[in-house]
Amino acid sequence: MKEMKRYSLTLTVNNETHAVVTPPNRTLLEVLRDDLQLTGTKEGCGEGACGSCTVLVDGQPVRSCLTLAVAMEGRKITTIEGLAQGGQLHPIQAAFVEHHAIQCGFCSPGMILTVQALLNDNPTPAEGEIRRAISGNVCRCTGYAKIVKAVQSLAGEGR
Amino acid sequence: MEKFSLLGKDMKRIDTAAKATGEAIFSADLSLPRMLIGKALRSPYPHARIVAIDTSKAERLPGVKAVITAKDMCGDRWGVFRYTQDQQFLPTEKVRYVGEEVAAVAAIDEDTALQALTLIDVQYEALPSVFTIDDAIAAGAPQLHDAYPNNINVHVKIDVGDIEKGFNESYLVREDTFSAPEDAYFQGEPYAVVAQFDQAGNLEIWMPNAGPHMKAKPLSNVLKIPLNKVRVRKITIGGAFGGRSEISPADVICAFLARKAHRPVKIVYTREENTVATRQAHALVTKIKTGVDREGKVLARDITCHMDGGAYSSTGPIATSVPFLCMEQAYRMDNVRYNGYRILTNKPIRGMFRVHGRAFACGVDIQLDMIGAALGIDPLTMRLRNARQTGDYTPTKSYVASCGMTESIVKAGEKSEWKEKFGKLPPYHGIGIGCNSVQTGFPMGIRGGSQAFIKLNEDGGITVITGIVDNGQGNDNMVVQIAAEELGLTPDDIQLINADTEVAPSDPGSYAMCSTFIGGNAVRLAARDVKQKLFKIVAGEFGVGEDELTARDRKIFVTENPEKAMSIAKAVRIALSRNESISGEGSYWPNVDPKREWVKNPYGQLSETFSFGTVIAEVKVDPETGQVEVLEVTAAQDVGFALNPQVIEGQFEGGVAMGGQGGMLSEFLQWHEGRVLNPTQFGYLVPLAIDMPKINNIIVETIDPKGPYGAKEAGMSVAMSAAQAYCGAISNAVGVYFHDYPITPDKIVKAIEKKKKRENTKVPG
Repeated sequence: MKEMKRYSLTLTVNNETHAVVTPPNRTLLEVLRDDLQLTGTKEGCGEGACGSCTVLVDGQPVRSCLTLAVAMEGRKITTIEGLAQGGQLHPIQAAFVEHHAIQCGFCSPGMILTVQALLNDNPTPAEGEIRRAISGNVCRCTGYAKIVKAVQSLAGEGR
Repeated sequence: MEKFSLLGKDMKRIDTAAKATGEAIFSADLSLPRMLIGKALRSPYPHARIVAIDTSKAERLPGVKAVITAKDMCGDRWGVFRYTQDQQFLPTEKVRYVGEEVAAVAAIDEDTALQALTLIDVQYEALPSVFTIDDAIAAGAPQLHDAYPNNINVHVKIDVGDIEKGFNESYLVREDTFSAPEDAYFQGEPYAVVAQFDQAGNLEIWMPNAGPHMKAKPLSNVLKIPLNKVRVRKITIGGAFGGRSEISPADVICAFLARKAHRPVKIVYTREENTVATRQAHALVTKIKTGVDREGKVLARDITCHMDGGAYSSTGPIATSVPFLCMEQAYRMDNVRYNGYRILTNKPIRGMFRVHGRAFACGVDIQLDMIGAALGIDPLTMRLRNARQTGDYTPTKSYVASCGMTESIVKAGEKSEWKEKFGKLPPYHGIGIGCNSVQTGFPMGIRGGSQAFIKLNEDGGITVITGIVDNGQGNDNMVVQIAAEELGLTPDDIQLINADTEVAPSDPGSYAMCSTFIGGNAVRLAARDVKQKLFKIVAGEFGVGEDELTARDRKIFVTENPEKAMSIAKAVRIALSRNESISGEGSYWPNVDPKREWVKNPYGQLSETFSFGTVIAEVKVDPETGQVEVLEVTAAQDVGFALNPQVIEGQFEGGVAMGGQGGMLSEFLQWHEGRVLNPTQFGYLVPLAIDMPKINNIIVETIDPKGPYGAKEAGMSVAMSAAQAYCGAISNAVGVYFHDYPITPDKIVKAIEKKKKRENTKVPG
């Protein structure tokens, strides 16, 4: 197999910078999981359908399985590991735990980051807005009711 | 004093903070030193003889560390039952479905492994294939296995009472046929395995599972190593829904690769592999004949069901029986006959599914609606007149110790305003009801019971050791909640070691909805064992009787005089200083009939207890597009006793999503000559947040006499009733009864057109 050219880049993930050397065909998901050991970001489908690999890039939710790592130079990436501060759950994480919005937990990292992006844009979303915002994230366990409730509890606080 | 300090009220799950932060490790997240990546080569043919396999080129590729074929194994055939041993983990003679494993490689990275697969040369001789039930049982059809003539894998025959007499005495008899194609489990987590051997020949292996011991035994058999060398480790599991129950070829292949390469190996399935090469749910064709009296009471029922089982047996005898058993638990009937056939086809393997058999359950329920319409009895009343009651025996002779079927129907009816709505809704609005019942455990041979251990620390904290596994439903929390309640500790005082075959004692796993009932009872008994020992010490110190004591808030005190108290820590220290054992043991073996067998003797106590549920759905159909908008769903279930109500609600809501919203509106696998056309989320439509209606949850409690604190299975009867409610509601909205599922918009539009045509032709007459 022919060696592909490797690129050196600096990734800013959760406010830390990482020097990464990678061939150009690798996804952000692969670099996060395999090079930086940030395994909280999950691969559910590998084709941008399920949302489990969602991370925030400059505050916007992005499918890391469809994003090339080399395109991320100079961007601010947030993964699920970057949300809790000082050992304290982030309010969204706490709300998910409190309201039983997590069952198997495989979709939770992506779901929580999508909610973070939603609440950044719109601190008091209505139920319909919440449902639309998280409809790019598939959850097979919960039927979404308790996830919506968890987000509503946060939206309520914002009012 | 409240009866319980932790039970029956909301408790935050112990496992979810780690899942919220990304700290929880799933199988694919594992990384071990020198770990290789494994990949399987899969058959492109639905049915073919394997003439030769040449792996020499692949072996020479730099970076490839091991290549295995059937030659590396002993040709063992796996089966859940002795009489269903028909699946080789790598086949020696022929492949039977597109996607079956043929060979596997382990290499230094994924790219190298994938390239190596292209260098394996397999010569196949294509054989004629069968893809449908009808083709498979036709005269002269290609045969998949010598052991199953006419491709009939399993025939379950049940005959109770006198159905001919029942039909003769019936006021009305109907016969209808219902069908549905295969559905997919679509667990969040694609299947993944990591395996490594140490120098002493011990296997350590991680994978999603519904019972670590269920994985360990077949691994021990096929690797020819004793059970104590197979260490299935605990790992976070991303959903199972019945699809992680058995050994998977991936487990065996990963272990063989690791042993051959002398290095750890990880296999991670793609989404497509998860859909095709783990398990799928059966396609069904069910013919139901039901006879009733004038009041709608069922006098006789005769059901013939054909299930498309795919290429191998899997849990075939169970899968062939369960839809019938659920029905006979839910509804009373004296005369009933069942012929269930599981048919083999050249398609991927089918297993037990959380919402198994929609064409069966919907058929039974929607036919009750049809009969009710003919008699002028509404669907809810039809259910009430046939509902199972406490103290009954089912036709196949299971005693029903607790039953809230009627209560679930009545309460769901009230909440959904059934009386106000049925027959009174505007055009293209409809309301429908479904009922079902599921087991809380099966006879499972040597693995039928569960055991638990408890170890105490000198500060009063404990470690609970059990085989119970958590697939996402909250079983870990259930264990901690029970142990904490029984010993008067806080959840924080408890460490849990579970789902690890090296340390955990035998347990049936989360199979058959038995974790709370069987495993939970074992944990409770282990905690009681500890409590008795501690009470003996405290009673001696205080000069009171052991029966006068209570354990709560980390203390043991005299119930009538709570001031007289000793910390649990102190009691433990006294025991240690006296060299008295205070560790605990508990075991629970359910009261099921060990002579009951799925095929040979389907009579006797099946499960010690059963759950009962009702779902009511209200929908609005767009007659132009056939789109269904679900307005509201009410889910009610008898759970015995709700240990942690919000966890149970989560099960109801997830069950409505999977069984109703997905199962009745959008989910089905599409095929072309044995190949799945929609294996990923783009083609296989699982419900999203925008799709889901408002769900009302109603928890019915009957306090089962044997369940831990009265608890039994919690959520599956809702999951197994949701499809019927959706089907009934759509049928009610459109004015046409649907026989083929899921009810997609094209079927609705066609039904409306056909109905209009029929009505137009009637007008002149």
